[in-house]
Amino acid sequence: MSSTSTHAEVTAVDTAGRWPVLFLLASGLGWLVISGICALIASIQLHSPTFMSACEWFTHGRVSALAETSFVYGWAANAGLGIALWVLGRLGGSTLRAQNWSMIGTLFWNLGITLGLGGIATGDATSFALLELPRYVQPLLVVAYIAIGISGILAWSGRRTEGTYASHWYAVAALFLFPWLLIAAQTMLLWSPVGGVLQPIIDGWYVQSVFSLWLAPLALAGAYYVVPKITGQALPSYEFAPLAFWTLLFVGTMTGGRHLIGGPVPAWIPTLANAACWMVLFHYIVVTLNLRGALTGGGTSLAFISFGLLAYLAGAVLDAVTSFRGVALVTQFTYFTTAQQQLALYGGISMLLFGSIYFALPRLTGRPWNSGAFVRSHKVLAMVGIFLLVGSLAVAGLIQGTELSNAKTTLGEIAGRTRPWLLAVSVAQVLLLIGNILMLVNFLRSVCVLCCSGAASEAGSFRQPTTMEVHAS
Amino acid sequence: MMKNGFFFFIGLLAAFLLGWSSIPLLAHKQLGALTPFYDDGESSSFPTRPPGVAARGQLVYADLGCVACHTQQVRRPDFGSDKARGWGDRQSVARDYIFQGRPQLGESRIGPDLANWGVRQTPLDAAAIAQFLYSGVVTGAKAVSHPPFPFLFDDRPIDGEVAADALVGLAEKTPRRQVVPTERARTLIAYLQSLNNAYEYPEARHVEPAAAKEGAPK
Repeated sequence: MSSTSTHAEVTAVDTAGRWPVLFLLASGLGWLVISGICALIASIQLHSPTFMSACEWFTHGRVSALAETSFVYGWAANAGLGIALWVLGRLGGSTLRAQNWSMIGTLFWNLGITLGLGGIATGDATSFALLELPRYVQPLLVVAYIAIGISGILAWSGRRTEGTYASHWYAVAALFLFPWLLIAAQTMLLWSPVGGVLQPIIDGWYVQSVFSLWLAPLALAGAYYVVPKITGQALPSYEFAPLAFWTLLFVGTMTGGRHLIGGPVPAWIPTLANAACWMVLFHYIVVTLNLRGALTGGGTSLAFISFGLLAYLAGAVLDAVTSFRGVALVTQFTYFTTAQQQLALYGGISMLLFGSIYFALPRLTGRPWNSGAFVRSHKVLAMVGIFLLVGSLAVAGLIQGTELSNAKTTLGEIAGRTRPWLLAVSVAQVLLLIGNILMLVNFLRSVCVLCCSGAASEAGSFRQPTTMEVHAS
Repeated sequence: MMKNGFFFFIGLLAAFLLGWSSIPLLAHKQLGALTPFYDDGESSSFPTRPPGVAARGQLVYADLGCVACHTQQVRRPDFGSDKARGWGDRQSVARDYIFQGRPQLGESRIGPDLANWGVRQTPLDAAAIAQFLYSGVVTGAKAVSHPPFPFLFDDRPIDGEVAADALVGLAEKTPRRQVVPTERARTLIAYLQSLNNAYEYPEARHVEPAAAKEGAPK
């Protein structure tokens, strides 16, 4: 840790505005564990189809929807917003404003998610990918999101410096664009639904926009802030960062049609997606170049961010390759698509968020992480788990895709041949679940110390950032 | 642009609007007014509206999340093995779906494609489908090939006569009880039986590649 970044540690901005951020992060980690349990059930059902199928709440379709929804709207949204508010507060140079709005918004957002997940389990899901939450919680989510976002927007507009940073752009873009996106998708799919195949086309656009306009910007806001803070160096190739930012926003949303190759839709939609997938690679390459300092740096946060960065890039390259018709002929409709989704959401977004959280929490509480062993265990479990998860799903998908194109192989035979790999997927889900429980426990214990012993000895550890890192490095 | 808040927001809005208008709006312009195709030869139009019971069955299909494992979209005969597997002789087209409240295109083929399940080579009758949904076992087979969904059935004592649609073959184990499909099961079965995209629209006709035509003229 260089001396320049030591000064950045000493700040009351964090401690005065910590509760909204801690509330968001804690909710996110809680949902991550719940999502992990659902994902584990769903993955067991893939190799043992009778598992829990007699219970209507946990048919494979419903439990997959529960896992996906709690992961994106529970974990990634809460954690991403927490990091975005924290980054915007720090960059704004003053205590977070409208904290009550943010707290109430978080409360209602999570109430909405709870109600919505109950609705999915009992049969009210909308059956649109990533928009499964029932109609009756959708308006609540929009309002709650705006309430959370107000703090961030105020911190941005009231910032003390005129200039802006890449973290600013990504955080503000995510805060500002998601309500528009959600309202547009709700209107066209739920309130005044369009007819026929327009529904899957629009849902495909929504799913991609959730990633390109919301989740990726949230994760990058944290990474763009944390990496230079730890390495203590200016970001290389930073002059390309604005162009990379706008490339993601303008081109990223057009890549959604790659899932509709060969489907009953106009051919220009997958073709546009194919071209867009290759254009948007510019964004991913620039981000990797900007943040490449993370790859050579040490410490827990940078280890997570490095992994996340490489997974983020690899996911985009795989998307581009599989957007060709010849490749999609094999990979479409298989576990390979699931592997790509997990690589992007778990390997990319989540690992970047983990990295930011491991950096942020000691600054928010003024103390190191409660248990260094838990931190190291989580790091190993997450990395091995994601590697195993994505790898096994990809191999299973390739077997499934190859065998599907041979009409003589029955679906039962395909299930038999992919079974060993699907078992590995379940093992991976167990590893990830254990790791995430460790992180949740560690997080709660670190925060509880704060409540129990008050704020007496905060300043001491702020002066010694290296001791603060010692457990988490 | 990055320093000026106003222009930054305009840029964000433009990014959103461009994405929105380039896919949802353009697609809507192209497909939003799609009408059924009137066939003079048959004096009727296609696709036909699904009967009400099937439309309700689609809601059951949707709320159980069947879409997680089943697609309902057939690919071109020369693009994948869909035709060879008996899932459909022609590719699905947008017109197939205009009367469906919630088209269930799907993205995963852990199970078979169901776009033409009602008119496949060996269609099952309602009793056989009910048996399959209850036990997960195809009639005659031993292994489970589908998750069993007993919650779609009512397991109740025989009060007077056995219900007409009660599952057969369970009498030996529980002689005084019967398993009867619920209303939801009946609509789901009617929906599955109604799945039929066999009618060939002009836009769905398969164009043989030129080289294949020369070799083997049809």
